Amino acid sequence: MADTVGQSNASSREIVLAAEGLTKTFGKRQAVSDVSFELYAGEVFGFLGPNGAGKTTTIRMLVGLARPDHGTVRIRGIDLAHDFARAMAHVGSIVESPDLYGYLTGRENLLHFARMLPDGAQGRIPELASLVALEERLDDKAETYSLGMLQRLGIAQALLGAPDLLILDEPANGLDPAGIREIRRLVRLLASDRGIAVFLSSHLLSEVEQMCDRVTIIHRGRALATGSVRELLDRSASGATRWRVRPASRAAEILREFSGEPPSVEDGETVAARIPRDRLPGAVAALANAGIEIYAVEPRASSLEEVFLEVTGGETV
Amino acid sequence: MRFLPLVENEVLKLLKRRRFRVVLLILVALIGLIVFAQVKGRERFLSGKDWRVRVQERIAGMQNALRSGRMPKSAERWSRFEIARLQYHVDRNVDPDAITGPLFVRAFANASSYLLLPLLALVFGSDIVSSEFSQGTIKILLTRPVSRAAVLASKLAALALAITLMVLAGAAVAYAFGGAAFGFRGWGAPVLTGFRLTGEAFDVSTIRSLVLWKDTILVFGLAWFAALSVGALALLTSVLLRSTAAAMGTMFAALIAGTILPRVAPSWEAQKYLFVTNLPLPDYYSGSPPPIPGITVGFSVAVLSLWAAAALVAAFTVFVRRDVLA
Repeated sequence: MADTVGQSNASSREIVLAAEGLTKTFGKRQAVSDVSFELYAGEVFGFLGPNGAGKTTTIRMLVGLARPDHGTVRIRGIDLAHDFARAMAHVGSIVESPDLYGYLTGRENLLHFARMLPDGAQGRIPELASLVALEERLDDKAETYSLGMLQRLGIAQALLGAPDLLILDEPANGLDPAGIREIRRLVRLLASDRGIAVFLSSHLLSEVEQMCDRVTIIHRGRALATGSVRELLDRSASGATRWRVRPASRAAEILREFSGEPPSVEDGETVAARIPRDRLPGAVAALANAGIEIYAVEPRASSLEEVFLEVTGGETV
Repeated sequence: MRFLPLVENEVLKLLKRRRFRVVLLILVALIGLIVFAQVKGRERFLSGKDWRVRVQERIAGMQNALRSGRMPKSAERWSRFEIARLQYHVDRNVDPDAITGPLFVRAFANASSYLLLPLLALVFGSDIVSSEFSQGTIKILLTRPVSRAAVLASKLAALALAITLMVLAGAAVAYAFGGAAFGFRGWGAPVLTGFRLTGEAFDVSTIRSLVLWKDTILVFGLAWFAALSVGALALLTSVLLRSTAAAMGTMFAALIAGTILPRVAPSWEAQKYLFVTNLPLPDYYSGSPPPIPGITVGFSVAVLSLWAAAALVAAFTVFVRRDVLA
C-alpha cells in the first residue's frame, strides 16, 4: 500500500524540501551531523530514530526555530536563511506538541494564525474544521480540548496557508489507537489528494511503516539509511521467507541445504526459512526437482524494527 | 503590509486574558481607596480653621523642627523647600491645600508615576513575550511567513496601546471618584508650578502660573512617557528571561531599589543616570525637589529615552537571533 504509492511518486514529482549538510552542535555535543535529504511533492517521508537522536533538533532547523551551524534548508528552492518569510509561506508545521492558546476558542486560535497569513486563509477555516472533524467544538475554549482534538486543531492550523509542505514532529505522540488511526488517515489523504509533501518524525516503527513512502533512519545525529520502506526491507539481510509447500517436512529437509539455520515447520504445509536472496532461485529449483508441490514463496516481512536494529547496531527505540 | 493584523492579534490576546481585567480592577479599587482616605483625612486636617491660619501653623511647626537640629539631611532639604513653597502661596493668597476633582487628577498623575503606573506597565510588559514561551505557542508564532522582528514589533505596539489605555483609564477613574468627592469643576483654576531648589536656595525665577487643564495634560503626558519607558524595559526582561515570574521579579526589584537608594545613599551623584531615579518625571516638572541635585525634566526625559532605546535594540537583537529550543 504505502510503498507502491511511493514508487510511482518519487521520480516524476518536484523537490519540495531539500536539506543539505545540516549540522548543529551544543557545546561539545554534536546533536545533528551532516544530515541531508530531499522530499518530493505528494510523498510521506519518515524521519525515524530513538529519542535523543536529533529528530526534533533537525525539525527545528527546518522551520527556522533553530539556526544550523552548517548546512542549508531549501523549501521549493528558496533558502530559508536568506528569505525566511517567502519560504515559510509554503510550510505548515507542528513542532513537538500542538501548543495553542487555551484561553481562546478553537475558532479564535485559527483566526489568530490566519491573520498572519496572506489573504484567503480565513476563508479556509470552515472547510478545515470539517476536514479534522472539529466543527462541533470549534467555539469551545482550547483548554477544554482533549489531546487528540488539540492535535487535529494543530493540523488545521498547519493547513491554513494551503502549504506544499507539512512538517509533523511525532504526530502520534500521546494518542490512543483511534487517534493514531485518524492521524494516519489524514496524513495519507493530504498526501494523495492534495499532493502535499509530508515530513514526519517518529520513534514508532509501526506507524512509520504504515504511513510513510520513504524513510531516513537517524541515529546519534547522523542519517544512516535512506530509501523507500520496501527498499530498506529488501536490503535487510534477514532474508526470511515463508514457503507454502507439500509435504512440508520433506521440503524443510531440502531447504536445509540453502539456509544457515534449520528451517522450521510451522504446519502441514508451511515452512519458515532464512535463505539469502541470491540462493532463492536454486532453492526453488531444488524443491521442484524433488517433486515438492510449491504453492507460494512469501517474504516473511522483516519489519522496519529489524532494519533499524541492524542499522543502529542494536539500540532499541 | 500585513502589520496591522499582527497588532490586532496581540491586542486581542492582551484583552482576553484575565490579567487585563484584574489590572483595571486594581486601578479602580486603589483610586477609590485613595479618594476615600483623602476625604476622611481632610475632615480632621481642616478642622474648621481659616486656611491661612492652618498654613502658618504648619510653617511654624517645621521651622521649629529645623532649629532643633534633629532632622535627617534628606528631610531637611525637603522641609526648607516646603516652607518656602507654603510661604509663597500665602504671600500670593493661594490656598496650597485646596482640592477639587481636577486638582486631584493632577495630584494622582504626580503620585502614580513613580510606582503605581510603572508597576502596572510592567505587569503587561514582562508577560507579553514570556507567556508565549511558557504556553509553548511561541513555536507556531515564529513559524509563520512573518519575520521575527515584525512579530516583536507588533507586541511592542500592543504593549504601548495597553499602557496608554491604562494611563487614560487612571485619569478617567481619578476624575470620576475625585470629582464625586471634591467637585467636578475647576479646570480653569491657576496652578503655581515650577518650584525649584537650586543648591540650598529657593529659586523663584522658574515659578509660573498655568491653567489647570493644560498643566494636567502635561503632567499626564510625562507620566505616560515614564510608563512607556518602563514597558520597554519590561519587554527586554521578558525577551531575555523568557519567564514571566523572573521578568516581573527583576523589574519589581529594580523599581523598589529605586525608591530606597536616594534615601539610603543621598550623596551618590551617579545614581541620577539610573533608570528608576528618573521615573518621578511629573514631580520634577512640578518642581518638587529631586533626590539628587542636577535632575531636571529635560535630563530625565533624555535618560529615560536612552534607556528605553537601548532596551529595545537589545530586545530585538536577542529575539531575532536566539534559537527556540525548549
